[in-house]
Amino acid sequence: MKYFGGCDVGSTYTKAVILDENGKIVADTTIKSKINSAESAKIAMEEVLTKVGLKSSEELEYLIGTGYGRNKVPFADENISEISCHAMGVHVTDPSVKAIIDIGGQDVKGISVDTDGTVKNFAMNDKCAAGTGRFYEAMARSFEMSLPEFSKLSLSAKNVIPITAQCTVFAESEVITLVGEGKPMNEIAAGIQMAVAKRCFVMAKKAGATDSITLTGGCAKNDGLKQAIEHVLKLKVIDLSIDPQLMGALGAAEFARQKGLAQA
Amino acid sequence: MKDLKHLIEMEDLLQQAHNKLVKEAREEGRKAIGYTCYFMPEVLLDLEGCFGVRLRAPNCTTPVMATYYMSGRTCHFGRSLMERALEGGYNFLDAQMATETCTVTCRFQEHLQRMDIIQNPDFFVEFTDVPFKKTENSVEHYRKQLQAHVLDSLHEKYGIDTSDEALLKAIEQHNEVCRLVSEIGSYRKLDVPTITGYEFAVIQLTTITCPKDKILPMLRETAEEMKTRKPDLKPTWKVKVCVAGAENDDPDFIKLIESCGALVVADRYCYGSLPGREEIVVQEGQSPLDAIARHYLNTSCCPRFMPQDIMRGRKQYIADLCKEYNADGLIIESNKFCEYWSYERTIDALVIPRDYDIPTCSIEKEYINSASGQLRTRFQAFVESVELKKLHSRKGADDV
Repeated sequence: MKYFGGCDVGSTYTKAVILDENGKIVADTTIKSKINSAESAKIAMEEVLTKVGLKSSEELEYLIGTGYGRNKVPFADENISEISCHAMGVHVTDPSVKAIIDIGGQDVKGISVDTDGTVKNFAMNDKCAAGTGRFYEAMARSFEMSLPEFSKLSLSAKNVIPITAQCTVFAESEVITLVGEGKPMNEIAAGIQMAVAKRCFVMAKKAGATDSITLTGGCAKNDGLKQAIEHVLKLKVIDLSIDPQLMGALGAAEFARQKGLAQA
Repeated sequence: MKDLKHLIEMEDLLQQAHNKLVKEAREEGRKAIGYTCYFMPEVLLDLEGCFGVRLRAPNCTTPVMATYYMSGRTCHFGRSLMERALEGGYNFLDAQMATETCTVTCRFQEHLQRMDIIQNPDFFVEFTDVPFKKTENSVEHYRKQLQAHVLDSLHEKYGIDTSDEALLKAIEQHNEVCRLVSEIGSYRKLDVPTITGYEFAVIQLTTITCPKDKILPMLRETAEEMKTRKPDLKPTWKVKVCVAGAENDDPDFIKLIESCGALVVADRYCYGSLPGREEIVVQEGQSPLDAIARHYLNTSCCPRFMPQDIMRGRKQYIADLCKEYNADGLIIESNKFCEYWSYERTIDALVIPRDYDIPTCSIEKEYINSASGQLRTRFQAFVESVELKKLHSRKGADDV
């Protein structure tokens, strides 16, 4: 059996996927990223290789790196941007999906997907961290909660307290002020979800997303955000059958499979 | 490809406005005249006894001091120039020939005039009004402005010879620079170009920031060298692109695009060569100043001109360039808070893919791009999508 690998080195988590020649996932992993991208990739790859019973990445037919640390993946045959990989990952998971909002650790992207899984159009936030995983980390820290607890809290709100600041630093101080004023915590949390959802709305519209949309990246597991996005986009967000955080690595592995088989 | 003989020296000249050739020219007693805009005809500043320096602020970090004077919601380029002026980077200037064109660069030049920033007692600033139309009245107005604010002031303040003969001599030198830059740039049209967009950007920038007579020997040698330059056996690029948009004087921005697999084959941006390196033609019986005024008004593709036919002409110009230079796609950029290009970029990003079927990537950037990681992701994703579409269209053609 031939195996193909994809390694997505993100700013917060590193994900790796190995596919067999039929495109079936035979191993995957998600680990916390280290400061050194190459080391993160090495650890993640070692984990998936062990699961498949391979000794090294060289035993893979083809390996593609993606994510912000894509240039640093050891033994990678090439690297492909995470935008293309997320599109391909989602396409092989559910070909009916035509648009993606990818919320990673340090950026937000809107991607519209063509019928063959290639990128039709995309939009991406500027260098600020507003509405990204880092933003959520800062907000959850203000609430002294974990991210799943924060998400659950926001879902319990009956009302939404609007958060005006988009900047992570200013939003954090706005939240602290609102908490100090004794405003309900769950309504503040719902306000934060709504602020991020509006930012996602802009990215989705810029990318030309009109229907059948899904969420990828670590923040896709935030149900409060999903609900807020459905509210602002007036669309039902499609749930993927595979962990949405793995989409970048899966897309990279699928590209590796296509290229590896074409070479053979 | 084999390194160009003068590339490292040219790169070095771009490290600061007050570079080696500018210093040499000033030591010879010539006056350094700063400017920022295409509408200040460089040929008028390259008369005997003076030379033009189009201002840049290389390696500028956050323009903190300039933001105090100009506010944070203004173009980063204008503020970076102001920051560099406050740091003392333009103290070599003898005059600044300003134009009332982009608001923020105009405001920067007003600050030069009103504050005692340039440490040169003879330094002065003159403002030239530039029309918003290209009619006969506009040409006449522009010509009178150039006579009064540029030629007369240079003559009165520094005794520069501004006669028709002197202008014709300057045009001759200017045209040689244009011919050589265009010749070097024409190698970008080849199926496998023998010059990179980065190399060309460095060459083009030196021609607007250094005294013409001092850069000409290097240009002549480079043009000669290009005649036999061989391309790499295996191309390092996947697609070719045209870059269009607002002010860009950062060759590293072009290098960043090229590192993502897109060879930059056409530079249709402010400080680029398209337009900008067309020769000035003086007709029989025409005054040189009239020819210059008409040339700069007619060749400009600045988005400050709003008539519908001119706006439409600008889109066509980009589409024609993409065809002429075999570009597979277009990267359209504007600086954050750029007055004219913010609008133009938005329209181009809609019109050019729709009406001309040219894949387009729209980027809002800063003067110095410290967030290169995110830009790299955008460019790489754009290259990948253009490359795939190219492959699909080739496959479609083969199937037919």
